Amino acid sequence: MSSPAATSLVEDRTATRSIPVPLRKLARLLLGLAVAAVIWEGAVLLFAIRPYYLPRLSTILMAMAATPRAYIDGFLRTLAETLIGFAAGGAFGVLMGIVFFRVRALREMIFPIFVVSQTIPVIAFGALVVLWFGNTLLAKAIIAFYLTFFPVTVNTLLGLETVDPKQVALMRSFGASNRQLLLRLQLPTALPQIFVALRLAASLSLVGAIVGEWFGDTTGLGVLLLQAMFTENVVAIWGALLAAALLGTGFYAVVAAVERRLVFWSAEQ
Amino acid sequence: MNPAVAAPSLAVQRGILGAVLLIACWEGAARGLHLPAYVLPAVSDILLGLWSKRAILIDAAGYTLLEALAGYGLGCLIGIGLAIAIALVPALRSAILPLATAINSVPVVGYSPLILLWFGIGVSSKIVMVAMAVSFTILLSMLAGLDRVDRRAVDLMKSFGASRFGVLWRLRLPTALPLLLSGMRVSTVRSVIVAIVTEMLGAQGGLGWVIYQAVLQIDFVQVWSAIFVASAASLAFFGLIGFLERRILFWT
Repeated sequence: MSSPAATSLVEDRTATRSIPVPLRKLARLLLGLAVAAVIWEGAVLLFAIRPYYLPRLSTILMAMAATPRAYIDGFLRTLAETLIGFAAGGAFGVLMGIVFFRVRALREMIFPIFVVSQTIPVIAFGALVVLWFGNTLLAKAIIAFYLTFFPVTVNTLLGLETVDPKQVALMRSFGASNRQLLLRLQLPTALPQIFVALRLAASLSLVGAIVGEWFGDTTGLGVLLLQAMFTENVVAIWGALLAAALLGTGFYAVVAAVERRLVFWSAEQ
Repeated sequence: MNPAVAAPSLAVQRGILGAVLLIACWEGAARGLHLPAYVLPAVSDILLGLWSKRAILIDAAGYTLLEALAGYGLGCLIGIGLAIAIALVPALRSAILPLATAINSVPVVGYSPLILLWFGIGVSSKIVMVAMAVSFTILLSMLAGLDRVDRRAVDLMKSFGASRFGVLWRLRLPTALPLLLSGMRVSTVRSVIVAIVTEMLGAQGGLGWVIYQAVLQIDFVQVWSAIFVASAASLAFFGLIGFLERRILFWT
C-alpha cells in the first residue's frame, strides 16, 4: 500500500506549487514510500494483525523476491494488454467525439447505444470477446478498450463544445479550413477535458486487462490474483495487488506527466 | 439517456432510429449469415430465451440488485461520512485522503479474491466490494463539493455567529449537493457491474453467477439474456437516481 499514497501526495503538492524540481520530487517520493512502509510494518506488528488479513510488508516483498519471474512476466503481460487497450480506446474515443461533434444526427443515433453498451457487465462482454478471439493478448486488450473508449468520447465531445463561437468565426473569416479549425482551435481547446478522461481511462484499462485474464490465461497479474485465491495464499494476493498498484500508479503518473507537458497552459489540475 | 429526456423530439426519434437500425442489422446478420449462437444469436432468439428463463433471470437480477443496493447505500454512507468528518476536522484530511488514495490505487476488482477469502462467497463479500468501489467516488465528489463553497459566504455566516456545524448544515452541504448527486448517479452503474464481476469469482446466485455458469455450459443465448437483464437493471437504477437528483436539485 506504500507506493500509491506517496506518489499521489507528491504529485498533488508539486502540481499546485508548480516548481517541478525533479530531484526534490524524487527525494520526497522516496521519503513518502519509506514512511508508508514503516507505518505498514509497524502497524501489523503493533496491532498484531493476523497475516490472513494483512501480512507484513517485508513478508510480501520477500515472497515476491523469491519468485521474481512470475511477477515480472505477469507485470509485463498485463502492461502490454493495458497499453494496447488504452491506446486503441483513447484514439477511438477522440475520433468518435469529433464525429459526434461534427454530425449531430449520428450523435443522436449512436450515442444512446454507447451509453447502453456501458451497462453491459464487463465479465459478460469479456466472456464473449474471449470466445470470439480466444485467450489471446488481443482479447484482453479489447476488453480494456471497451472500458476505455466511452469516457474519452464523452469528454472529447464536452471539450469540443466549449469552443468559443467567436473564435471559430474569426478563424473562418481568415479562410481557415475545417481541418485547420479542428487542429489549431477545437482540439487544443478540448485537450484539458480529454486528458481528464485519459487519466480515468488509464485506471479503467488496467481493470479491463485484469478482469480479462480471469477467463483463463497463464501469465498476468489477474492470473496471479486468481491462482493465489484458489490456494488461499494471502501473501501472494497482496503481492499481486502491490504489483497492480505499481502498474496502475505508474501508468497514471505517466499520463499525468504527458498532460502537464501538452496542456502547459491549463491552470486546471 | 439524459440528453434524450431534455432534448427536443427529433433527438428522441433519431435515438429510436439508431436502436432500431442496430437491432435490424443484428437480427439480419445473425439470420442472414446463419451465424452460430456462440458467435452472435439473433435478437429474437435472445428475447425468447429471456422469456423462457424469466423466473431464473428475475431471481438472479433481484439477488444482484439487492447486493448492489446494499453496497451502494453503505458506500454512500461511508463516503459522505468521511467527507463530513474531514470538513469538520480538517486535520483528518492528511490521514484519510492518502490512505483512501492508496487503497484505490489498486483497481477495485483486484480486491475481489481477497474479499472473497475474508467474507466468503455469500452476499456479504459483494456488498463489501460494491461499498469499496462506491465510497471512494462519493468521498471525492462530496469533498470537491464541500470545498467549492465561497469563502466570503462562510465569513459572512461566521460574522453572524454561526457555528462550524451551522455553516456545514446551512451552507456547505447544500453547495455540495449537486456534485454529490452526480457522483452518486455515476456510481449506480458501477455498483451493479462490481457486484456482477465479484459474483463471477464465487457466489450462490445472481446475474454474474448465471453468466458464468452459462459460459461454462456454452449456452450463449443465456449469456445474452443475462446481459440484457443486467443492462436493464443498471439503467433502471441509473434512471432512479437521476430522477431523484432532478427532484432534489429543483433549484438548478
